[in-house]
Amino acid sequence: MLETDKLTKKFKDTLAVDDVSLELRKGESVGLLGPNGAGKSTAIAMISTLLKPSSGDVRLHGKSVLKDPGDMRRVLGVVPQKIALYEELSAYENLKFFGRLYGLSGKKLEQRIGYVLDLVGLADRKKELVKHYSGGMQRRVNLAAAMMHEPEVLIMDEPTVGIDPQSRNHLLETIRRLNREEGMTVLYTSHYMEEVEKLCDRVYIMDHGKVIAQGTKEKLKAILSDQETVWIEFDQSYPELFKKLSEIEGVQHADADERSLKLIIPKGMRLLASLFHEAERHGAQVTNVHVQTPTLEDVFLRLTGRTLRD
Amino acid sequence: MGAFLIKDIMLLLRDRYELIILLAMPFLLIAILGFSLRGIFSGDLEALEMDVALVSEDNEAQGIEAVQNNVDGMGLSQEAEQALKQLAESASPQTMLTSLLDSEEISGLVAIERMGREQAEENLEAQSVDAIIIVPDGFTQSALNNMLFGASGGAQLEVLAADGASPKSDVLVSILEEFVRTVNFESSISRLAGDRATVEISGGIETITAQKSMTSFQYYTVSMAVMFVLFVGSAVARQANLEQRQMVFERIRLSNRPPLLYLSSKAVAAAAIVFIQLSLLFGLSTLLFQTFAADSWDFWLGIALISVVLAVSVGCLAAFMVALTLRVESDAVPAIFSAGVISLMAFVGGSFVPLDGMPESIRTIGSWTPNGAALSAYFSWMLDPDVHQLSGPLARICMVCVLFLAAALALFPRKGGAA
Ligand SMILES: Nc1ncnc2c1ncn2[C@@H]1O[C@H](COP(=O)(O)OP(=O)(O)O)[C@@H](O)[C@H]1O
Ligand SMILES: [Mg+2]
Repeated sequence: MLETDKLTKKFKDTLAVDDVSLELRKGESVGLLGPNGAGKSTAIAMISTLLKPSSGDVRLHGKSVLKDPGDMRRVLGVVPQKIALYEELSAYENLKFFGRLYGLSGKKLEQRIGYVLDLVGLADRKKELVKHYSGGMQRRVNLAAAMMHEPEVLIMDEPTVGIDPQSRNHLLETIRRLNREEGMTVLYTSHYMEEVEKLCDRVYIMDHGKVIAQGTKEKLKAILSDQETVWIEFDQSYPELFKKLSEIEGVQHADADERSLKLIIPKGMRLLASLFHEAERHGAQVTNVHVQTPTLEDVFLRLTGRTLRD
Repeated sequence: MGAFLIKDIMLLLRDRYELIILLAMPFLLIAILGFSLRGIFSGDLEALEMDVALVSEDNEAQGIEAVQNNVDGMGLSQEAEQALKQLAESASPQTMLTSLLDSEEISGLVAIERMGREQAEENLEAQSVDAIIIVPDGFTQSALNNMLFGASGGAQLEVLAADGASPKSDVLVSILEEFVRTVNFESSISRLAGDRATVEISGGIETITAQKSMTSFQYYTVSMAVMFVLFVGSAVARQANLEQRQMVFERIRLSNRPPLLYLSSKAVAAAAIVFIQLSLLFGLSTLLFQTFAADSWDFWLGIALISVVLAVSVGCLAAFMVALTLRVESDAVPAIFSAGVISLMAFVGGSFVPLDGMPESIRTIGSWTPNGAALSAYFSWMLDPDVHQLSGPLARICMVCVLFLAAALALFPRKGGAA
């Protein structure tokens, strides 16, 4: 129902979004994954008609929205990266204001406010000023405000940045429910791959303004089907041993932590024998070995040589 | 529109900082200035006490008689003659001056001693008096001729002041000028070399009964009010900047409301807030300091009219500032405005010092500021509730409104499309 065609945005000398073509089908939950500065927010601003593309097009039901953004704006519920709320007003007053902007009034307005407040679980604290809320609660109202006009598509720009795990789970659960139970189409932007992995059917991975990979989670992970991730835990830190292990022939990538080491190796490589051999030589004790199925994080690592948090 | 208005006004009422600036500060200033400078307006300020010699070289009785004889020769009806003669006697300028100087208010401020010219000048030399008021020969006659028959020339009062006594003599001059204004003659003061000021009196008979002047509370209630309404402009612009930074503005755009609705709501909100602010300032001042007579409907109607026009003009100013703030995407606009521009406007508008002594150019600029024009409208209404006298300043305010609106429309970022 919604697509972008070779969407490009240039700010002076930075190419923030470069030739991005996305597609959103009805009822789908799509993830836009990429590290900070990848161009996610810029892409979303263009999709939601807030920013004019340098070139390319955004289409809703096959019709360009650049000239007449009205239809798109009616259909979209946008949750911006920032808390786009009046801090000096209560959650209830914020929702009332945004509801009235969309022409709601009277009983209908009150009903809708009640519904979205229930949705984000803040019905009993709606009278408090937004500035007195925790970061997580503010994020929840931020979502509620985007839901006031019963949008068909929910576009979220890193809605979980800087919030406590409990609020985060609540928010993710809410979005999941909206998508699964109410058929809401969702475009979810994040640099947390766990979230995208948990929430989305299909994923676009962005880096440096470009989409570098796309497809269902399974398809993306198949990129790594010829690889395995081995995660080894030791009783303490052994920098020399870690270095040695990283240099074993065949190891494609190594990522050392305090007491653990993550190695990406070709499928079928016989690593364990040499691992225990080297460990013994260094007098190290292996406390845990775990062969992981690849994550989207690993996919990103493979594609770019960097982690999402870099 | 309603949603925007309610939200904007609610936000302002919750902003303690803005409320202090918009209400508490002007009210405090009205109270402080009203009390401490009461003397300048009514004369019980001991600190300014000065000794003044009054030298009369004028023969009052002779002057009145001459004028009355003059009336005889005009061939008027018996009654008219009688009335004019009566008037000449009761309106004698010198008597009025004397009673002013002897009045309770002035006598606390200025100690008047009548003496001959030579002695007065000696005393001035010896600094035992601070100034001399000279009522020149023929004063009564020419003043009355002027008043009753509109004869040109007019009478003059002279003030001689000792060197270095200038602040005090300024007060004296303004009192005399006030005297002139009190009987509502046209007046002008021209300062001469050697600290000599001349108060010229000329004018017509028809205005002689309008005996009104202003109290310090009236003066400062008006001048502070017209100054502090300007802060509503920066408050509203600051709000717009916050909306832009916090991306609430984006949300508003997403609702697909016409962008101009946003701008006009800001203007209307500002105007509404200004009107509330003015009502509170005038109301509280009257309630606590008995600044204005509370029971005159006509008087308050005029004040309300001027306040509405002033409120609308600040609304237009706010629209202009909002447009500019959104255009440059910075809160520097309201910051500069409230830190500097307002003081400047208040100064040229006459909120700090009366503009009587200012150069013509400053007075002209001041008369074109919304606050300056409103100030003179308020003052003129307070001294003489005549609607016709309001048309000048109010028309100027309206023209300035149109300018502000045009500038606002030119600057406002048209983000209606996918821009
Ligand atoms: N208004 C702007 N002006 C100039 N550069 C911008 C602007 N907005 C974003 N950028 C740049 O574009 C790139 C992408 O930014 P953004 O879309 O915010 O990335 P993300 O949301 O993925 O973190 C960054 O390099 C950023 O510095
Ligand atoms: Mg971003």
